[in-house]
Formats: sequence, structure tokens, C-alpha cells
Amino acid sequence: MDLTAPAIELTDLDKFYGTFHALKGISLTVAKGEKVVVCGPSGSGKSTMIRCINQLEEHDGGTIRVFGTTLDDNVGLIDEIRREVGMVFQQFNLFPHMTVLENCTLAPMLVRKTSRADAEATAMRYLEKVRIPDQAQKYPGQLSGGQQQRVAIARALCMQPEILLFDEPTSALDPEMIAEVLDVMVTLAQEGMTMICVTHEMGFARKVADRVVFMDKGEIIEEAPPEDFFGNPKSDRTRLFLSQVLGH
Amino acid sequence: MAAPSIWRSKRFRGAAIQAGFVAVLVALIIGATLTARANLSAQGLTSGFGFLWKSTGWEINFTLMETTTTDPYWWYLLMGLLNTLFMGVIGLAGASILGLIVGLMRSGRNPAARLLGTIYIELFRNLPLILQLFFWYALANALPNPRNSLAFAGALLNARGIYLPGLVIGRGTVALAVLAILVSAALAVWILASRRFRQIEPTRQRRLALCSTAAGLALAALAVVLGHDPSQPWITMPKLAGLKIDGGFRIQPEFYALAIAIMTYGAAYVGEIVRGGFKAVGRGQMEAANALGLSPWQVFSRVRFPLAFRAMLPILINQYVWLIKATTLGIAVGFSDFFMVIASSITHSGQTLEFIAILMGGFLLINFSLAAVLNRLNRAIALKGHQTTGAT
Ligand SMILES: Nc1ncnc2c1ncn2[C@@H]1O[C@H](COP(=O)(O)OP(=O)(O)OP(=O)(O)O)[C@@H](O)[C@H]1O
Ligand SMILES: [Mg+2]
Repeated sequence: MDLTAPAIELTDLDKFYGTFHALKGISLTVAKGEKVVVCGPSGSGKSTMIRCINQLEEHDGGTIRVFGTTLDDNVGLIDEIRREVGMVFQQFNLFPHMTVLENCTLAPMLVRKTSRADAEATAMRYLEKVRIPDQAQKYPGQLSGGQQQRVAIARALCMQPEILLFDEPTSALDPEMIAEVLDVMVTLAQEGMTMICVTHEMGFARKVADRVVFMDKGEIIEEAPPEDFFGNPKSDRTRLFLSQVLGH
Repeated sequence: MAAPSIWRSKRFRGAAIQAGFVAVLVALIIGATLTARANLSAQGLTSGFGFLWKSTGWEINFTLMETTTTDPYWWYLLMGLLNTLFMGVIGLAGASILGLIVGLMRSGRNPAARLLGTIYIELFRNLPLILQLFFWYALANALPNPRNSLAFAGALLNARGIYLPGLVIGRGTVALAVLAILVSAALAVWILASRRFRQIEPTRQRRLALCSTAAGLALAALAVVLGHDPSQPWITMPKLAGLKIDGGFRIQPEFYALAIAIMTYGAAYVGEIVRGGFKAVGRGQMEAANALGLSPWQVFSRVRFPLAFRAMLPILINQYVWLIKATTLGIAVGFSDFFMVIASSITHSGQTLEFIAILMGGFLLINFSLAAVLNRLNRAIALKGHQTTGAT
């Protein structure tokens, strides 16, 4: 793994579900430290694209390179990439039978072979960062949605990944909890984390994104810095989408 | 405001209603017993449990401890109860392990394994248990006679039973060794699974569990060495002597036919429960574990199985209680479980009501204790809080 290479390089990525062509030759490069926001209508392949990066979905064509390492069906390679690429899901996906602290220490202890003391110290540091150190001994089911999502972010951070993938992290949250999660994400962005973030929070995109990527029907339609993307969209489909998202 | 009266307290009212209910129930039972006694003695029938101390004068064909015809009824009943427990432990353990395999085959991705699992479940679930029991027993009896025994790695197989090479040690020694192993294994599981040991390093935790298991094995070995009579050989091999087999350790057909029937039939149900449990685990939790870089085994042992087990346990408890009751079918092939000992006792002594009362008491005791222990486990591991996410 070469940390000077681009963090993520997707070239002509293809993905089929049966005969359905979900990704049609996606190419995207994300430099280290860059923050990319991905948006687009439902079913356009946003989740599929970022799930290919950590191989929760297998791709059918094209190449995926993470820090210069090309992903093939080598299992050891996939494990190596997953250690460096954290993911935050729409539905939080915390482990409900473990405490918040155990959620955060599980992977560092099992995968990185960190000692329990070190893993717990790291976990507490990140729980403080997401502002819920006092909930460490609680179970996920005892937390609000916003708190759960912040735990999920802390859990991903505890593996100290180089890249974080977010798949609509605020879509399952009540409006009053969205801000607390976005705040944490803004902080991470400002600290230089490499992020690919699928979200329809256009305020967030304006504030932190280096680039906004618009997808439709399995293709990247437009890719531009936020000022251009919102101020001067080139494609009609982008304009239509923006009027729908920003319209209300 | 005045202090609320105790009569208005919800808790007090609840307790009072409970106490009243129990009092009425106890009064009813005492009344019924006294009436029954009066009626029986009026007809010249003796009641009471004095007969328990009389010797039986007949034999049981399978006991875990030394038993002779001069032993009293209470000892026979105890042996019967032990046999039922023994069959229950073996049957439930076997059904669980086999059921887990079948359930995993059914919930996996391999089409051949899935088909095999489905055939197994449809076959064993749709034939009556007693029919399956007769099948296994008939199969056991259809084996060749002792002179033509099938030999397999020192073991002999014939219509009289399975004869395994055995250690020459007393039953007490065996009991001690088994107890040592079981206790140490339970201790190891507890060390690995209990919250109490979450504070120490996982490597130390594993080492501690390993130590416990090793200590149990060492104790068992020690018991075997000390319990061995030095004038005797260590091992007894089954050999043909005239028309029968001498030496070795015999497992009789009645026992293994029932054990196989309970295991295979139980496994079909356990398999479906296991499959349901795995189906109830949210895909998201497994994806999160994968995304964190856990290996397939770690995903299974830390996330998938623990969550599936929580979904299975409540249904599994019912199934276990049901299987224990099903061991009474042993009477159909002549395995002397608690039920059969009771049935024989009734024939020989005529104390029908008393024995049936003991029979019911025995099964209630076994099944209540089993359910109580498992229900406690169920509560201890239940997921805390409201599950807004998770299983979908
Ligand atoms: N496991 C699957 N099997 C079959 N089709 C799938 C599967 N997962 C996704 N698809 C299809 O692939 C397309 C892209 O799905 P994807 O989840 O990537 O969309 P998305 O852009 O993330 O949409 P949303 O905003 O609703 O999350 C959709 O049409 C979807 O129906
Ligand atoms: Mg999606």
C-alpha cells in the first residue's frame, strides 16, 4: 500500500445484478485528504459504487485501486483494504449485543491485535471526539438514533482508517439529530480525513466538499467543485435533481 | 396530601391476589388428597409411600450404577430417573450439534448442502417419532448374530449390541472422571462467555479457559489411574467366546436405538430453529463486521452466531422440554427410563396412583429445572434497550 498514490482510483467500473446494469463504467479518482460528496436520485448506484470500494459488493469489470493496490479476488488483499477503509451505514448497524465500548474495541483487538487497554483508551478518545464518552457502557438499543450513528462513526475511527465511506449517514435520523452527526463529520473533514460521502445534505456538501459527484442510472453525469456544481450545473439532469432537492 | 394507603398500592394488591390464589390451590389439593385417602382405605387399599423401602425382586436391564434385585423401589426409581437424564443429556446434545449442522447447511449458499439439509428435515420431521424408533431398533436387531459380528477398529457390532474396547475401571471412577470433565468444560465456557471476564485480555482469557479444561482432563486422568485395580489389565477388548461376546464395553440396542431416534428427530426441529435464528440476524450487522475487516470465522463467532443464538433460545427451550418428554417412548423398545421403571413398578406393586404421582413429579422436576436454567440464560443475554435497528 502506497500512501503517496491516490487514495481511491476507480476505472471503468462495471457492476451487474443479474442482467441489470447497476454501474456503467464509473471512473473516479479521490486524492488523499480529499472530500467527495456523491448525490443522485434513488437507485442511481451510489451505494453500489461505494460498497464496491470495500468489496461488500463484488465488481464485474474495471479496476479499483486503493492507495495504488489493485483489488482482485485475492482475499488477503480485501482484508488489507478493509483495515484502511472505514464505513458508516445509513442504518448504523451497531452490534446490539455489545456495549458501545465493546463495539469500538472489537475490531482493533481482533483485526489489529491491539491490547485491550490500548483499544479501550483509543475507543474512549474517539467517543470523546463524537461527544458521547458518558455512553460507553450502554447498549446501542439504549441510545437515540443520532447517538447510535455517532458511535458507528467512532467504531469506524477506532480502526484508524485512512479513508471513511459514508452511505447516507443522516437519512435514517430525525431532523433534530441530523445536525449532531453532521457536526462530527465536519470536524473529521477539517482534520483532513479522506472521505467519500453519499448524502443529500447539500449544506454539508457546500461546506466541506472538494468535489460533488452527481450520479444517475449507474453513470457519473457531472463532477465539479461545490461552487460550480450548485452555481452553474452543466447537465439538465443535474439541474432537475438540484431543483428537486433544494426546492423545498 | 396524606400518605397513600397500603391498600391502594399496586404492588401490595398484586401480592395479595397471588397469596390468596396459592392458599385456595393448596386447600383444594389437601382436601382432594384427604378424600382420596379416606376412599382408598375404605376399599381396603393401602396408600402412602412406605412401599418405597421394600425390595423389588425384579431386574432393570440398563442402569448406570450397580443394582440388584434386593434393592428397594426408591433406588430403582432413582436409577430410572438417572437413565432418563442420561438419555436426555445425550439426546439433547446430539440433537443440538446435528441440528446446528443441518441448520447451517440450510442457511448457507451451497445449493447441494441446502438440498441435503432440506431432504433431511423433510424426512425426519414428517415421520412419527415412534416409527423412527422402531426403525432404528429393527435395524439394530437385524444385525448379524454374535458369531458373525461385524468388526470395526476393535469394536464388534451385532444384534446384541455394540461392543467397544473399554477401560477396566469401576462405574464410580467413570462418574468422577465425567464429572471433572463436564465441570471444567462448563467453567471454560463461562470464562469465555461471561461478562465478568470481559475486563482481561482476550489472550489471557483463552489461556485461562484452556487451563481449566486441562485441569479437568488431568483430574479425570488421575481418577482413572487411582481407580484402576492394579491386578487387572488396563484395557478389555471384546472377543467372541462361544456363542456370545466376552469383554469390552457393551452399548445395548434399546439404548442406542432410542438415542439415535431422539437425536435425528430432534435435529430436524433444532435445524429449523437454527435456520430461523440465522435468518433473524440483520444483514447490516454482518456487513458492518465485514467492513471492519473481521475474518469470516470472526464474523460468525462474534456477531452472526451470538445474535442468531439469542433469536433461537426461547424456541429452543420449548423444543428441549419436548424432547425430554419424548424419551418416554423408550418403553416401546424396552429401554428402562424413568417411565418404564414406573410402569414395571406399578405392575409389580399395584401402587398405581403413588407411582403416577412420582412419575409426574419427576418429569416436572426435570423440565422445570431445565426451563428455569435456560430461561435465566435467556434473560441474561437478552438484548438491552429498544431494538430500533438490527433484525429486519
Ligand atoms: N442486491 C441487489 N440485487 C439486485 N439489484 C440491486 C441490489 N442492490 C441494488 N440493486 C439495484 O441496483 C440499483 C442501484 O442501487 P443502489 O442501492 O446503489 O442505489 P442508490 O443510488 O444507493 O439509491 P438510494 O438513494 O435509494 O440508496 C438499484 O436499481 C437497485 O434496485
Ligand atoms: Mg443507497
